[in-house]
Parts: sequence; structure tokens; C-alpha cells
Amino acid sequence: MSRQIVEQGVLHERASATPEASRRPGRVGATAPVRGDHAAPGDASLRGRQQWFATAVMTPESEPSPAGVDEVDRILTRGPRLCAMDRLEIYRRGYHARLVECLADDYPVLRHALGEDDFDGLCRVYIATHPSDGPSLNYYGRRMAALLRSAAAPAPLPRGFAADLAALEWAVVEVIHAPSSGPLTLEGLGHVPAEAWPGARLVANTAARLLRFEYPVNRYFQAVRNGEAPRVPEAAASATVVYRSGPTLWRMDLTPPMHDALAGLVAGETLEEALSRAEAGFVGLSEEEVGRRVMGWFEEWVSSGLFSGVLPARDR
Amino acid sequence: MSNRFGLPDLGVGIGLRTVHYGHIVDAWPQVDWFEILSDNYMHTAGRPLHFADAVAARYPVALHGVALSIGSTDPIDRAYLAELRALRDRTRARWVSDHLCWTGVAGRNTHDLLPLPYTEETLRHVVDRVRFVQDFLGAPLALENPSTYVEFAGASMREWEFLARLAEEADCAILLDVNNVFVSARNHGFDPRAYLDAVPYDRVVQLHVAGHTDHGTHIIDSHIGPVDDDVWKLLGEAWRRAGGVSVLLEWDAEIPSFEETHAEALRARRFIGAAA
Repeated sequence: MSRQIVEQGVLHERASATPEASRRPGRVGATAPVRGDHAAPGDASLRGRQQWFATAVMTPESEPSPAGVDEVDRILTRGPRLCAMDRLEIYRRGYHARLVECLADDYPVLRHALGEDDFDGLCRVYIATHPSDGPSLNYYGRRMAALLRSAAAPAPLPRGFAADLAALEWAVVEVIHAPSSGPLTLEGLGHVPAEAWPGARLVANTAARLLRFEYPVNRYFQAVRNGEAPRVPEAAASATVVYRSGPTLWRMDLTPPMHDALAGLVAGETLEEALSRAEAGFVGLSEEEVGRRVMGWFEEWVSSGLFSGVLPARDR
Repeated sequence: MSNRFGLPDLGVGIGLRTVHYGHIVDAWPQVDWFEILSDNYMHTAGRPLHFADAVAARYPVALHGVALSIGSTDPIDRAYLAELRALRDRTRARWVSDHLCWTGVAGRNTHDLLPLPYTEETLRHVVDRVRFVQDFLGAPLALENPSTYVEFAGASMREWEFLARLAEEADCAILLDVNNVFVSARNHGFDPRAYLDAVPYDRVVQLHVAGHTDHGTHIIDSHIGPVDDDVWKLLGEAWRRAGGVSVLLEWDAEIPSFEETHAEALRARRFIGAAA
């Protein structure tokens, strides 16, 4: 059982800088009009002007500006070297570029898998489908895996692979921002009386996500992080736990019996129930060898910080 | 201490950026102060706060936001303000700043700093909201002049007049970004010194500098690369007029090493007449 660190950097950083668009946008089907009243160009109130401006900015770049040149000239000023429409378009490019950057920060390996152009196209579908409705970008990209499983997203890769990869990368983002409960230690476990063990339950680290996949995406993820250019793998069930211990993020692949045991513990099964389930997954090994392996996982999970406490049976 | 709010001159600082986390917590370099991008440390209970706490424990910090949307006609987001106040208290930030702009309307957020039409209606609207925010925070809010790429034809005043009147009528502070003055001056064809002449310096609690990208037809406030010499000169002029005030370098794209970023910030000392 090995675990890999997740290099820092997946926190997208908000700043007051204006991003610059680098790619030519492709055709995007959906649009993201501003809700509420129509953005009537004749409404010169502050709210009217804001709705008009936001509609112009949030319209996909592949589509014509919703405001005509004459209308823009009436509402905005020309500059020393640019007409009013070109000045307005700076904001439309900046809006899309900022959100593409945000999604690229969240999904660097998906971006690698898709390539720049396809990833950019996917982001533009995402932005049109899911305009931001809150002040934070921390969770803006949360719907990517679902979008990739839907028919709305372009599919240059097997949908299951792309969606699994997105789910893994989103788990990393979630774990960055989740509160982390202090780790349970092996020494701490020593305080549990032996007779209480079978009925004891473990409390999972709140900054841990346990995932099952159709594709071995963690292996692909690590290969990309290693600077390799892996091929898209064949479908093969896999499981990974992503968690944070202090400021450090980790990913750990799990075999099916390991996943089942850990899932049981996280779901609140007693140690006896979860470990018995894992032991049942082994075939052809002696009872002693099975017990040795299962206890080995358990000790590693505890020492890795996957649990934050233990609830003796009498507390349930 | 020359501003009317009694806020200190913290010296020359840099913006805290994730790519520098490792170096900072390993070396604890000598830095006058850090500006923390508040929105990166809100809506999270995880790792970002680990670093914010560590930095705030060792350096003076101020909070700088991009999502307050003080000019929006949507209702003020009280949950956002509550979280901002909690972060301010947690980090013991010396002050809180955001931008004279709006970021969204009708429940949608563009995450951009969008320009306001500088009219009497807008002034009344923003004055009321700044007062509300200051009451909520129990402290003055510093508003930064944004870089803008377009102006509204129906405006009845220029940005510098709007900013000065807003600061006076709302009794708020100003974060004067001299790079933004430079960028907007080129984009709209005004003299940046006309802007500097109109600033009420007793309300200026911080100065920003940053790099920009000149496209010939317009300038983008990209926060990339070293600071233009003309911007440094504006910094020196504003700093002298303010009688000494905290200076902060923003570098947000293609961010170099911590040492290079900090060295660029410290170039400010040549222009503000401080000891190197």
C-alpha cells in the first residue's frame, strides 16, 4: 500500500488582476443570460445598466454580442484607440478567461488528458451551463464530473474516464477546503480496552474522500504528475482515498477488500464488522495471514491520519 | 501616522501567494507585511487557513478582497460580510479593503471588477452601502480605484471626483492603486496626475503597485512582470503626498520566486525616498 502526496498549487488564487484570453473559443450551445428583468438598453438606472453590462459580458464569446454597435456606442464611451464595442469585449474575454483559469486550476490532469483546445471547449460549455452564483470560486468547478457524464459535454475521451478523473481532482479540491480533524494515533488507540475493540467505531478524518472508479484514474493522475504522457487506460475498477493531514494532501490506492473495509469504517461500522467484511474478500489465504494483512492496513490507515477518534461501544 | 484613521505605515509588503507558501514557512523571510487576498481564505475551513494563521502570527497583515461587490444593486451579502469580519479578527488584520466596482447582478457573479457609471445615483447607492459595511465591520473600509477599460456615456463625473466624494460622504478610507491610475489614464486618455491631484490623501491608507501589459491600443492590468518606471514615479508622488503610507506589490501571473518578487517590491524604496 503506497500513498502519494498531492503537490500544492490546486488552490486557485483570486486576485484583482485582469486575465487575458489566450484561445479562440469554439461554438457553445447554451447561453447564460442574466436572470431577472430584461436588460433593456433604455433603462438608464444603475440596475438597468448593470443587467445590460452583465448580459453582454456573460454571453459566450462564440456568439455575437447581444448588444449592437449603435446601442453600445450610446451607453459606453469610445477610448483614444478603441471603439466602445472593443472596450466592452475586453470584459467579455476577461470573464471567460478567469473562469477557464479557475477550472484549469481545479482540473490540471483532466486538462492534460483532453489537451488545451478540448479542455478550453469543455470549460466554455461548463461556464455557459453553470454561471457562478456566489462570491467564491472555491466550489465553482464542483459540477464538472456530472457534466462530463451528461450528453451536454463534448466527449473526445471515454466519458467514464473523463468523469472519473474529474471526480478524483474535485476530491482534491474538497479535501483542501474541508476542515481536518486532529489525527487519531496508535498511542491513542492504546487507551481502548481490549474487550471494547470489537464494538468500537472509528471517527473518520473530515478531510477525507473515499472514491470508487470505473477506470484506474489515480494511476493516470500520478503518471501525469511524474511528467509522463500516459495513454488513456482501459476500464478497470479502482478505488482511491484522498485526504489531508495538516497542510499535506495524500492519495492512496485501495484494493477492493481495502475499500470495502475502509468504507465500512467510514460509514460507522464497528471494527469487528468492517474487518470481518475485509477478511471475507480474501480467498486462498490462511486465517492468520488474512488477519495479519487486515491489521497491517488498519495500522497504516491510523498512522496516516485517516481517523480522528474512536468511539467505544458503550458510547453508541 | 498621517491618515485620519490612525492606521499605521507598515512599510513595503507583498501579496501572500500560494506559490510562495513553502518558502515563507521554511525561511520566515524578513518582510515588512503581507496582504492576504481575503476571498482565498473565506469559504474554506481547510489548508488556506493553515497558512493564513501561520503568516498572521509572524507578520502584520491587511485583508484585500475582490468579491464585496460594493457597487452592485443586489442586496449586500451579510453572510459574506460575517465571514470577512471573522477572517479579519482571526488574522488581526490592520484593515480591510476591496474595490470600487461591482462583480455581479441578479444573483449571477462574473468574478470581475466591473466599472460603475459615475453618476449621482451611483454615488448615493455606494455611499449607503459603504456605511453599512463599515458599521458591520466596526472599522473603516478602504476602497481601491479599479483599472477600467470602458466608461459610461451617461457619467456625470470622472472617477477621481467620484472616489473623493465617496470617501468624504461615506467617511471611508482609500487604497490608491497607482498602477490602476496609470492603466485607466492610458485607456481613457486622461493625465494620471490629474487623478493624483484630486485624491484626499488624509484618507489614503495604502498604495498598490503592479505590472501591466501594454497592447498598444489599451493596457491590461495583468499584474505580470516588473513595475513600469512611470508607475514607480506615480508611487513616489502619491507616497510623498500621503506623507508616508503602506506600500504593496501585487504580482499575480507568472509569479517568480519569492526573492525576486520581494526584491521587486523593495524597489519601491528608491521612489519613496526611504532607506534601502
